[in-house]
Amino acid sequence: MPDTAYAGEQIVALDTADDDVLRVEHVAKRFGPTTALRDINLHLRKGEVLALLGDNGAGKSTLIKILSGFHQHDSGSMWCKGEPYAPRSVQQARKAGIDTVFQDLALVNQLTVFQNMFLHRELTAKPLPLLRNRAMRKRTRAALDDIGIQIQSIDLPVARLSGGQRQAIAVARVISGEADIILLDEPLAAMGAKEGAQIIDLVQRLRDSGEVSIILIVHNYIQVFQVCDRVNLIQDGVITFDKPTSETSVSELNEIVVEQYRRARLEAQRTMTAEVSVDAARAAVAGDEGGASAARVNRSGSADDSPGAAPGE
Amino acid sequence: MAATSETTPSAPESGSPPKRRPAGPLALLTRFLALREGSIIVVTVAAIVYFAITTNDYLTFGNFKNLLPYFCFLGIMAIGEVFVMTLGEIDLSIGAMYLVTPFAFWKLTEAGIPLVPSVILAILIAGGFGAINGFFTAWVGIPSFVATLAMLFFLDGLALIVSHSEQITTPGTEIVGVPTFAQIFGAGTYSELIWMLGLGVILQVLLSLTRWGVYTVSAGGNRLGAAEAGVNIRLVMLRNFVLCAMCAGLAGILEGVRTSSITPDPSGSAQFLLYAIAAVIIGGTVMTGGEGTVIGAILGALFIGVLQDGLVLKSVNANYEYLYLGIAVIIAMTIYVLVRRVRRGTGRA
Repeated sequence: MPDTAYAGEQIVALDTADDDVLRVEHVAKRFGPTTALRDINLHLRKGEVLALLGDNGAGKSTLIKILSGFHQHDSGSMWCKGEPYAPRSVQQARKAGIDTVFQDLALVNQLTVFQNMFLHRELTAKPLPLLRNRAMRKRTRAALDDIGIQIQSIDLPVARLSGGQRQAIAVARVISGEADIILLDEPLAAMGAKEGAQIIDLVQRLRDSGEVSIILIVHNYIQVFQVCDRVNLIQDGVITFDKPTSETSVSELNEIVVEQYRRARLEAQRTMTAEVSVDAARAAVAGDEGGASAARVNRSGSADDSPGAAPGE
Repeated sequence: MAATSETTPSAPESGSPPKRRPAGPLALLTRFLALREGSIIVVTVAAIVYFAITTNDYLTFGNFKNLLPYFCFLGIMAIGEVFVMTLGEIDLSIGAMYLVTPFAFWKLTEAGIPLVPSVILAILIAGGFGAINGFFTAWVGIPSFVATLAMLFFLDGLALIVSHSEQITTPGTEIVGVPTFAQIFGAGTYSELIWMLGLGVILQVLLSLTRWGVYTVSAGGNRLGAAEAGVNIRLVMLRNFVLCAMCAGLAGILEGVRTSSITPDPSGSAQFLLYAIAAVIIGGTVMTGGEGTVIGAILGALFIGVLQDGLVLKSVNANYEYLYLGIAVIIAMTIYVLVRRVRRGTGRA
């Protein structure tokens, strides 16, 4: 067991397969005093859809941002298609074939649909590097038609689209690119049932093609079982659960989350009591009625259900 | 039927607003107002009509020539500032840049460097100061307002020190008559106008039709999102501050050559800074970033020029000039804000 583990905690050991396109070994990341990722071991096989589950603040988005080149990890190593992988920028990650739909979508409100679709991958003419807007419009229309998302006009600024449409554009932008490893950070968050189903359908089609490997962060277990091959659960900066979807069930996943919540609640109470008893001791030394105040605080501490999850996303 | 389609109840707040399609001349009017520069055109035309009616010689060729020195150098300063303000930043040092660059030009010629290379080097020096603005804003993380305010004081001081607080004769203008160098760099009647229009076309193309422009808009509109998409935000900021400083430096040299003297007068250049920022804003560039227009900034400078020239022609006391300018800016911006509401309804941004 790695020395970063808490008592009683199960950390998934390094697992590999011959056809891995992505491998993450002992990756850790801190933001100042906050530890976002403690010891991440993860692998992604070719053509696989991997679900990444976890509580808010568990480290899902941090992991995605490291894989996508937006953040750099502090320690550990990563491999992409057999090559050492440590992207210094989103651009480098894209060159390695990894592209990302970020949680905040990375759309610019003031730019039009087609400008957003081609943001930082614009087509330019030669010799004068002017934008080839007509070609970009044409390709945007084709890409959106392919996905089956209805947009009134690709010349509209994205500020004027609905949340679901914006999300669809962010997904379409990545999928229509060259990437063969796609990271989707909550692509369904702002979507209605119908639009969400369209995106899930799209992920399914990509999986069927066998060419693209996907890491998908979703919260809906139904969607996990519908489209994902394998489930990883990330808790408090480590991956604690790794099973093919065929070997697990909604109830097992639920059980893990409930257990996690119970432990977090217990932990919160214990910390609270410990702090209070220190306070009480100090107060007693000072000749105050320490015991009574400690009891009071303790009761309010028990009422607090804060799971004490690590921030950092 | 058209009326009912205007009020689609299903459109969510953040969603697509219903499309309005007014018919006939109204459609043309809305189309026109839908332009980012629509309001400044309305206000400028209104000012021209007013002065044409209330003065005798307004719409004459002679007056047009009088008008040029009021706004051309301002326009050059303003189109550079557009690139910084579209980022959601501001460059307060362009007045000081305007002030100090001609002195750099003078010092370079004193050192024996020929005129044209001196001009180019002086503008590059201005660009260097712009790079310092960009460095402190993008890398150190000082708000551009503060970083460029510091630069303003620094350059004002530098100009006073270099010049020993004395007016000098602009190099290249000492000879009797107007030599070719001076003709090109500001002294010719249309020299500044041609510089402004030429640069205006190039920079509008840069803003609208190149990656540089798209990255500028994206860095001003959604900095984090643009970074996630792969845009190198710091580089975009750096080069826009450099561009802005070089425009201001060029404007300073052109004015120095036109007036054939360079005066170390920081209060005058501070005035030009405020005029240039006013031109950018009333031209349609949004202070919070993400939207900018070079043509609008030129029109904004034109409006300020029209106002100054017209008030002189009406023999209005100079003290009233500022008062009227203040009122005019408020009117222009009010129209702009109202027009924006119309624009939102037209499917254009």
